[in-house]
Amino acid sequence: MTESTLVALRSTLLWASLATVLVMLPGALLAYALARFEFFGKRVLSTVAGLPLVLPPTAVGYLLLRLLSSDGPLGRETLGIDLDILLTWKAVVLACAVMSAPLVIRTARVSFEGVDPRYEGMARTLGHGPVATFFQYTLPMASRGLIAAVILGFTRAMGEFGATIIIAGNIPGRTQTLATAIFSAQQAGQDAEADFLLVIALLVGFGAIFTTEYLSRKPIAAAAR
Amino acid sequence: MSAFPTLSARVRLPLDRFDLDVGFETTHRVTGVFGVSGSGKTSLLETIAGLRRRATGRIRFGDDVWLDTPGRRFVPPEARGVGYLPQDSLLFPHKTVLGNLRSGMRRAMRNAVDAEGTLHNVVEVLGIGPLLERDPATLSGGERQRVALGRALCSGPRLLLLDEPLASLDAGIRRRVLPFLDRVREQFDVPMLLISHNPIEVQALCDDLIVLRDGAIIARGEPRSVLTRSEVFPIAENEGFENILPGVLVETSGETSLVRLGAHETDPLIVAPRSRQRPGSRLMLSVPASDITLSAARPTGLSARNILPARVDHIRDIGFWRLLSARISEHAPPLVVEVTSAAIDELGLAPGVELFLIIKARSFSLYEAPEAA
Repeated sequence: MTESTLVALRSTLLWASLATVLVMLPGALLAYALARFEFFGKRVLSTVAGLPLVLPPTAVGYLLLRLLSSDGPLGRETLGIDLDILLTWKAVVLACAVMSAPLVIRTARVSFEGVDPRYEGMARTLGHGPVATFFQYTLPMASRGLIAAVILGFTRAMGEFGATIIIAGNIPGRTQTLATAIFSAQQAGQDAEADFLLVIALLVGFGAIFTTEYLSRKPIAAAAR
Repeated sequence: MSAFPTLSARVRLPLDRFDLDVGFETTHRVTGVFGVSGSGKTSLLETIAGLRRRATGRIRFGDDVWLDTPGRRFVPPEARGVGYLPQDSLLFPHKTVLGNLRSGMRRAMRNAVDAEGTLHNVVEVLGIGPLLERDPATLSGGERQRVALGRALCSGPRLLLLDEPLASLDAGIRRRVLPFLDRVREQFDVPMLLISHNPIEVQALCDDLIVLRDGAIIARGEPRSVLTRSEVFPIAENEGFENILPGVLVETSGETSLVRLGAHETDPLIVAPRSRQRPGSRLMLSVPASDITLSAARPTGLSARNILPARVDHIRDIGFWRLLSARISEHAPPLVVEVTSAAIDELGLAPGVELFLIIKARSFSLYEAPEAA
């Protein structure tokens, strides 16, 4: 096992976690808005938020590259400061966040839609304002789905390849991730290295899906009387 | 009896098939809103609770204005201080029964209500002590409604809004939950607005009744008298008219109990099925209007246990047969009897005529809570 493979593994866990945290808060709020309210441009917004799911990841990566390149809308020449994202670990996190956002938003939206808004009305009549109602009633009632959203977002981030390789590259010890390390190992014919990474990927993936299966079980059936 | 703050509402709310458009004012302890499902009852209740933002008009409770569309005032539900019991309980699934009961207690404390004392009292009155640690999903329908009622009471409400508290329960359980509502009515000094399509419920609990059809008020008044009106009776008629009578248990012997209909010494006594209550307990009885036989003279040699002298109060034509109201005492509410017009002619029945009501003991149903622990 080479030193850079271990670094890639450790970094992947860190970056995927960061990306998940980054996506979760705005993603959950957006998901709640999409689940509860009717507003102008809702369909367009929801479509845009879903795009990374259907576009080739390399297309998303290329789009980010165009946005962030020095003459792009978010580049040094336009903003006047250099965000210094491309080809750094920040680019990995950004790619992971963007690519996992649709999954997070969709899963969270479904879990919010599963909470009958009448429970929220009930909480309001018991003296709780809208904010307290959201945090003390809506969130806990949607928690199973939200945890599933976190897990799916995290695993999608861990597996991110296409967008990452375009904006962050595949620099061992700096921007290499589990996904790009498997690619490098396979290309270089280092089968033992690739096998090891494959097992890790299998374990993480199995654990994630299994957990969401577990979470999506119906709660104890209400005593029918 | 203390006077209750005035609830006055003049509201309009567009619904799918019609507009809810009602105006009323009440100071009663329990005001009923009666109507078939889909007549706008729940929408009215939710409007008063502040859960319908699209409603316009004016709602005032005591000195507080909750809604005043011309004055651009809308008080959100959390600031209205109402206790809401929805038809399907809506117990929070992520909390235990106790957690549910406590979910409105912060408001109660803000309003300087003795929250812990109220909780204690509620648990006692509603008999939910053994349920406190349970998960709401494991409760039966009757238990759920009692817990939801308790949760509303624990939030220190100034007004209780009850949406068909018994509708989701089958007849047997309903008979056991109704007395809890009656206890709440007697022991908590909170006015209530109660929605129902069940004539038994409104007769047993309401002092005043508003009848709603297609979003408009079509009748209003004392429940028994309103329910037997020809324009209301067809709405109420599901299994026929049921008389609801408050009574006090005098004694129990063998398979029957003796019940006094009313609080006065001179009020009539009737023989009913055996009660589990202690002598002196308040209870409620019901008897279907179709189970009462009329006789012009006192009959003899009958198996029926109750032969009650009465005087005809009034007779109403409801289209297919007549509803005869007969008084058996000064204080007790009149009993309603279903009779054919042929019988009325043959017996020469008219207001003021004296007759006898014949009722089997088994025709009475007792509405009683399980003995309080």
